[in-house]
Amino acid sequence: MSSKRHSTAPSAPKPPVHLSSHLTIADSAQLTGTHLIEIRGESVVHPRARLESSAGRIAVGRRCVVHERATVGAAPSAGGVSGRVAAAGADGGGGVVAVTLAECVTVEVGAVIEAGETVIGEGTVVGVGARVGARAVVGKHCTLTPYTEIAAGEVVPDFTVVYSNGLRRTDKRGVAELKNKGLARQIDVLKRMIPSNPAKFA
Amino acid sequence: MSSRRPPRGEYIETDTGNKVARKATLVGTQNIMLGGKTVIQPEVMIRGDLIRTIQASSQSASGAAPNNTAVSIGRYCFLSRGCCLRPPGRLYNGAFTFMPLRMGDHVFVGPGSVVQAASVGSHVHIGAKVSIGELAIIKEYVRILDGTVVPPNMVIPSFSIVAGQPARLIGEVPEGGHEAFELRDLYKTAGNNPQPMPI
Amino acid sequence: MAALTPYTYIQCPCSDFSTLGRPSDPNPPTGTEAEVDDDGDDDRTFDPRAPRANYSLYPLEYLLYCEDCHQIRCPRCIAEEIVTYYCPNCLFEVPSSNLKSEGNRCTRSCFQCPVCIGPLAVTSVETKPDPSLLAAPDNAAAPHAGPYALTCSYCAWSSAEVGIQFEKQNGIHAQLAKLRNGGATRLTAKERKERRKDPSYRSQHTTEGPGAPHETEDLDLETQFANLKAFHQGQLVDPNSADTGLTALGDLGFSSPTSLSRIMSIYTGGSLQDKKAKSRVGAMREALDANEGFQVARLDESAAIEALRSEGHDGTASAAQLADQPPNLGEGHLHGRGRFTPGLRPIPYLLRTKRSKRCPVCRHIISKPEAKVQATRFRIRLVAGSYIPSIAIRPLALGSGSGSGGGGTSASGPAVPGALLEPLRPAHYLLTFKNPIFETIKVTLGAPAKTPGRLASKVTVLCPDFEIDANTDVWDEALNQGGAGGGGGAGGAGGGGGGERERRRRRGEDGAAGGGGGGGGSQSNINHQNQLEVGKIWERGRNWVSIVVEVVPASLRLEPGDAPLTEDEDILEIPMFVRVEWEGEAGGDEVGSVATRDREAREKRELAYWCVLGLGRIRP
Repeated sequence: MSSKRHSTAPSAPKPPVHLSSHLTIADSAQLTGTHLIEIRGESVVHPRARLESSAGRIAVGRRCVVHERATVGAAPSAGGVSGRVAAAGADGGGGVVAVTLAECVTVEVGAVIEAGETVIGEGTVVGVGARVGARAVVGKHCTLTPYTEIAAGEVVPDFTVVYSNGLRRTDKRGVAELKNKGLARQIDVLKRMIPSNPAKFA
Repeated sequence: MSSRRPPRGEYIETDTGNKVARKATLVGTQNIMLGGKTVIQPEVMIRGDLIRTIQASSQSASGAAPNNTAVSIGRYCFLSRGCCLRPPGRLYNGAFTFMPLRMGDHVFVGPGSVVQAASVGSHVHIGAKVSIGELAIIKEYVRILDGTVVPPNMVIPSFSIVAGQPARLIGEVPEGGHEAFELRDLYKTAGNNPQPMPI
Repeated sequence: MAALTPYTYIQCPCSDFSTLGRPSDPNPPTGTEAEVDDDGDDDRTFDPRAPRANYSLYPLEYLLYCEDCHQIRCPRCIAEEIVTYYCPNCLFEVPSSNLKSEGNRCTRSCFQCPVCIGPLAVTSVETKPDPSLLAAPDNAAAPHAGPYALTCSYCAWSSAEVGIQFEKQNGIHAQLAKLRNGGATRLTAKERKERRKDPSYRSQHTTEGPGAPHETEDLDLETQFANLKAFHQGQLVDPNSADTGLTALGDLGFSSPTSLSRIMSIYTGGSLQDKKAKSRVGAMREALDANEGFQVARLDESAAIEALRSEGHDGTASAAQLADQPPNLGEGHLHGRGRFTPGLRPIPYLLRTKRSKRCPVCRHIISKPEAKVQATRFRIRLVAGSYIPSIAIRPLALGSGSGSGGGGTSASGPAVPGALLEPLRPAHYLLTFKNPIFETIKVTLGAPAKTPGRLASKVTVLCPDFEIDANTDVWDEALNQGGAGGGGGAGGAGGGGGGERERRRRRGEDGAAGGGGGGGGSQSNINHQNQLEVGKIWERGRNWVSIVVEVVPASLRLEPGDAPLTEDEDILEIPMFVRVEWEGEAGGDEVGSVATRDREAREKRELAYWCVLGLGRIRP
């Protein structure tokens, strides 16, 4: 069942999944947890990417790319938010969406999105090694540059660029369409490059 | 480097002297070229599967014997625990393609760093938790301090010391500092039979 | 508090009074009462905390060495000469002739983001999401027509935000020079120069006459400067022309001695000048109108306040961003300019240089890089590291009766590097001296018994006098290490360097000099007597020697009423005087202290300098 190279969580029970038939998910991606993980069409999950649904459902929209070592639905880091998230997890019904990735979201290498009704808006790029805290709501077409941290519960407006250790500005380039188009091209290429094995997770 | 002594047999040592940790993740190994005497520590990830799809002239993905090398690494490189090398991607005439990542000799990549450069010259020190943006070009004898974010497309000329988010030049490598980039001694301290650092 | 790795800084002799200027100074300052510290050069202990010390201490890598003067040279005392100018982004060399005309920035298309200083790239601005482009993605879909803008790949700034767009994809620098923020065109430097020369333009202003200064006239900085310069030059020349025909040539201007004396007389108030000059001073006047470079400051800031109200703090440029801005010579007056982000302009990359370095005394070149931009080799590179021993510091953890390896747990010192030093408890550090030269060297160390400053820690150098064997060839080294690796490699996992065959301890040499640095230091090596012996080398190898330094850190507890600890005062720093002696080949050099007898003759050389050993922070 589990690949021999799975060293971290070899025998964890498989979470229920709802995978579109048009997605690309690498064999060595890791889906763990107990709640539903839903990934829509044309999305790409790179090798060694992790999606954890222990604290609630994970919903990944169309045309998202989750890069290697990114963690979607990570347990919140130390802080006062754990209580509420734990409660959310405890209600068990899967009604709580721990992480929502809207369409065309890119989660780059090693980025972490904590669980707890966290929402990433359409067209947003979560940069290398960035961390989005639990309950944060990141707007549409935002850019979180590498190693950016978004605090738990924070609301980031649409078109915000977070850069240089937390400085913020508004992206006025108006290239959202262009960016999404570029992402579509990238997905086209990745589709051919990454051997997909959705059957393994079903 | 780390004072931790790994148990015997943690590394695969090749004929050319490469020491590759068994717990490293090398995807698409046929597209990864190692120059020899390179150390790859555990939990390192190299994406050799992201090959170039558009060769320089034609748009066809499978031309006649295309050069599929995605990541090439020189001699005496040291890839620390948890770092990640991946070829940079770009839009080329409206289509997306990955470009090869080329790395010279004596390149140190610190723990947890992500390198998506187009080229990294010889004698380069990349600190811990550094992000090298896509298609950056790093020339020889460059020191990138811990936590630096090198933006995409940045060119860092030789003998630069850079730091910050985004990276900015903060100093020059002094004349007497060239030898510190040599990684021959560090090479011996890793592997299944690690030697102490010579004095 | 941040961990501190032990460090060694070396003092460049250029800051030392005893070597600087004394021999050539015929009458040294006699007021020695005033400068107590400065007499008696040899006894003076170097204080690393003195404000001056900041400017003379360098890590070994930063120091160069002059082979002719046999002296250390630091970045502060060497003379630099620029070999090559180049752009750090496109790596193109810029001829120095271009520098005069074009300035010190890249004139290709290399720009930095004015917001975050990341690199800017030229991208085409899509005016509208083009439906035809969406429909047909794969044909020659990149017409890349339309206007272009500079965009930052890091913070997503775009020059379109400040109203700057380009028609062509290349030659951005030239295009930018003609554009103001907002898109209005402006004159380039060249055009302005021509305009100034243009008689019709000039006459248009001169007709107004100096009596009516028109406040509306806006000069850009460059024109204003040119006008001011012309005006003042005229002012200088005019009175002179009355009596001496020579200076009437005009162009002598500021550089002529009469002008200098005039200027001096203005500021010194009369002692230098004669009556004639006095009368001339009266002839000078200030600029009165724009044509003479006069500009009325615009003190009305209501527009700025209005902008601040509407844009808020986010709309203002930070001090760092303003400081990074290139000098905008073509822009208007400085008053009220450039406080808001819409006023920021792309920053053309500052050129970088490759520099050769000369000894300040003998003018010999001690470092010279290859001129080509991409080359990294040096033609000459005399670094101090290949002439003077390096000093590595390692905390020594004394095991209870372990062998020579020193692999035991902490008994007397911090075992882990960077740990805090316990006050009033003896700690031991291993100093490893490595000899880079191919001669045996004799090293003599001197350290004060107590560190200077308020918090006096006790210092004992257990073996202040020793010899280090010569360095050997690289090939010998390689062969040697190969052998060692094969022989002792198997047990390498042991605690303390099983593979190092060459390690051997040599005892009982030069024991007489043992107390040299330890006059007041407590000889508290009671418990581990078998390990620490005064006058004994701890360990030695092919071209290195390790010795032990014992320190008793001072307590940071302050008496009530004392000034609080200053920054980094808790770092234990030991000043140490290092004297290195060796016998070198007596080349026929001109440093005349030693008679050059023969080619074969050996010459005694010595080098002495202060260094500072930073061991670590003391636990508060």
